Amino acid sequence: MTDPLLIFDVILGLAIVALAVAVLAMHDRFAMIVLFIVFGLLSALAWVRLSAPDVALAEAAIGTGLTGALLLTTLHHIRATPPAPVPVPAGAIIANLGLCGLIFGGLVVAFLSTPLQAPGLALPVAQNMEASGVAHPVTAVLLNFRAYDTLMEVVVLLAAIVAVWMVERGTAQAPSPVMGEIYRGFARLALPAIVIIGTYLLWVGAYAPGGAFQGGAVLAAVGLLLLLSRLYRPQPAHRPLARLGFVLGTAVFAGIALLVASGGRVPFEYPAAHAKTLILLIEGMVTISIAVTLAALFHGREPEYASVSENHK
Amino acid sequence: MNDLPTLDWPTAVVFAPLAGAILAFAWPRRAAGIGLASVLLTTAAVAALALRVLAEGAVVTRLGNWGAPLGIDLRADGLSTLLLAMTAGVGLFVSLGALDSYAPARADERTRRYFWPLWLLLLTGLNGAFLSTDVFNLYVMLEVIALAAVGLTVLGGGREAVRAGLEYMYASILGALLFLMGVGFVYLELGRLDFAGLIAAEPAPALTAALALMIAGLLLKTALFPLHFWLPGAHANATAPASALLSGLVVKVSLYIFLRLTQYMPLPDELLVTLMGTLGAGAILWGGIQALRAERLKLLVAWSTVVQIGLIFVAFARAGQVGLAESWKAAALLILAHAVAKAAMFLSAGRIKDEVGHDRIQDLDRSPIRPTLAQFTFALAAISLIGLPPSLGFAGKWVLMEGAMAAGYWHWVGITMIGTLLSVAYFSRVLAGFLRFDRLRTPVAEHQGWALADTAPLVLALAALSLGLVAAPILAFMEIGYPFGATP
Amino acid sequence: MNSGLIFGLTGIAVFAIGLFGALVMVEPLRRVLALKLCSVGAGFLLVVGAWQAPPDMPDPVPHALVITGIVVMISATAVALALIRRLHSLERASDE
Repeated sequence: MTDPLLIFDVILGLAIVALAVAVLAMHDRFAMIVLFIVFGLLSALAWVRLSAPDVALAEAAIGTGLTGALLLTTLHHIRATPPAPVPVPAGAIIANLGLCGLIFGGLVVAFLSTPLQAPGLALPVAQNMEASGVAHPVTAVLLNFRAYDTLMEVVVLLAAIVAVWMVERGTAQAPSPVMGEIYRGFARLALPAIVIIGTYLLWVGAYAPGGAFQGGAVLAAVGLLLLLSRLYRPQPAHRPLARLGFVLGTAVFAGIALLVASGGRVPFEYPAAHAKTLILLIEGMVTISIAVTLAALFHGREPEYASVSENHK
Repeated sequence: MNDLPTLDWPTAVVFAPLAGAILAFAWPRRAAGIGLASVLLTTAAVAALALRVLAEGAVVTRLGNWGAPLGIDLRADGLSTLLLAMTAGVGLFVSLGALDSYAPARADERTRRYFWPLWLLLLTGLNGAFLSTDVFNLYVMLEVIALAAVGLTVLGGGREAVRAGLEYMYASILGALLFLMGVGFVYLELGRLDFAGLIAAEPAPALTAALALMIAGLLLKTALFPLHFWLPGAHANATAPASALLSGLVVKVSLYIFLRLTQYMPLPDELLVTLMGTLGAGAILWGGIQALRAERLKLLVAWSTVVQIGLIFVAFARAGQVGLAESWKAAALLILAHAVAKAAMFLSAGRIKDEVGHDRIQDLDRSPIRPTLAQFTFALAAISLIGLPPSLGFAGKWVLMEGAMAAGYWHWVGITMIGTLLSVAYFSRVLAGFLRFDRLRTPVAEHQGWALADTAPLVLALAALSLGLVAAPILAFMEIGYPFGATP
Repeated sequence: MNSGLIFGLTGIAVFAIGLFGALVMVEPLRRVLALKLCSVGAGFLLVVGAWQAPPDMPDPVPHALVITGIVVMISATAVALALIRRLHSLERASDE
């Protein structure tokens, strides 16, 4: 236990757990979200310690930054009504506390029994890296070995925007684009993060043609700032273009996956000579779709003619 | 197998609805036409796949040609194909019913525009889940299904629907995350995620934890008592075609995954099998009582789904001598029977509500308007759900009872009987209302039967009734490709 | 003791806390956050599953899975939040 980094890990781990408790216990909802953002950033830091920079980036940009923005804009929308204090019976709390304690105990026992630092699929990935068409292992898994998963993940994102556009409609007021203190508070948090993440992505791009999701998130952040600063206002006339942006990634990804399947090849089997180009093309289109979709998820509602007048008061 | 450029049917089954979803969303004016075409294409692909499975046995597609565990394989064996066929069949007729339910005269333009992309995304997820052989891929599919299903739940846009949809969303995400945590434990222990790895694995504490987490998530998603709290609201408040899809198909996916996992990673203890059966029995009794008390027709139908899920779990647990090794066929047959009959029932309940103007059970016999054909369809569907011959529901219950009797589980037979009697009781409440005319104050209005819109539910109800006659071939088909026990 | 062990336990604790919140909390936003905690906990577990003591390279497969999980989770969060906003609007409209 002389390694100072291990002490750092212990402190970081404890801080993360404490923050998780604090997020749920914090009475004020704004403070709750801010604590959650701190929690997310510390988790990302822990993942850097576990040599998972790609994951840390995705968590910081998407899981924390954009999720935090979504939470804040929702809070802004609903904060007119303070939460009604619904008393939870003490018995229910104790019972659930006991249940979750048991689950925690059981999972810890199970976790300690696993072969930590097992090789997993690292070896097959390394053996097939040559054939994958990319240099970065995580990108190879995402866009080649398990490309089907990644396609379905983009489909999830598409389902989300379809559902969100469907849900929010009618007479409700759109969230005000100018968000005052919340916006400024968030911008202070987010802007440096965007700069840092953007720079890192540029740097990492030199040897890893990866980061569709992280890149998309950074672009989405730009979209958020455009929306918040009213530099861009969604118009009903822009809907066809937006829809095209949402489906672009899925369509190109699925299209390429199917089109390569000829001459004895199966779907998703990129011809070796073109693998790199095709993956780059997919990544580019997916990045655009992710950026547009995430920004639209933040904006929330489908821009409709009926609600235009409301926005102009 | 051969280098001819034959279409890869498993892929086609997933990609046809996906393409439809993309087009229908991008081109909302043509959503209905695109949607129907895409459902037809998917049905054709499923039919082609079924023929190949029948001829050659299980069909495997190694996506990217990497092969599991590095890549992801799609695999269609008898059981998968049967559920794909169920989804395609029910989906096709619900789509036809939706054409009428969301016709310009009945629904606003938004509903019409959004139904098709959401339903096609749902179909993509359902088909993908039935073909998947990888636990993480199943997690992603569950999320595709969850988001599309929640979208369909709130399609009507009313306050109750949105509230129910939000509850459904919480339950759905929590279920998926429990499943994901289980996937994490699988990877920690095995370093791979494919079914073949699970089959080959030695028992280990981490795998027990993984199975427990995944089962907990799936039970929440499939709404087994007492985790059913989100279901009645969500299924009763959605629009009729959406309810038919949610009740008929969506809850079946988690059941199917449960079926696979418990075969590949056997439950470590007979006590747990008994627990599953007991929860199922609880669902039968509690759901039955709630159905007896329900004031609205669609709510009654939704509670009957809770009951039927309980019945399927009783079948899982008790339709065979040793654990789950034999009982899966009874469960699978009941899954199929419920999907077809419940879709018919929700569609016809929606038709009755549309025609009568309300769905208060107590006042159904006061209505001067009698949508005869929809009421007839409802009755036919009820016959299958109650389990009278020759319906598919009867065949499923028969296999269940036969297995349970052979194994000497007499009190489980008793519970199944009680469930049957309860279902007779609560469906009678509705059927009696259809047939009574003495409380009518005004003469019966003009005859409202025989509308084209009643065709879809009627065909489904007739299918539920008559498929029982071909139960034996269906049971034989299920076994193609040795769904369990042998590695792919 | 090593980083994998420490953060594995951290992840399981975060998951359990999130699970407790998801079961007990009533307020809509807090329930969404509780679910997000669960997903971070599951992410921890997978990242730990990939980890190798340096200088060995980690297993890239779980990393890819977690990235997928993060994108899936923001999609689900966005839909849940949209439902919360919509329900709030509908309830306010019916109160007035």
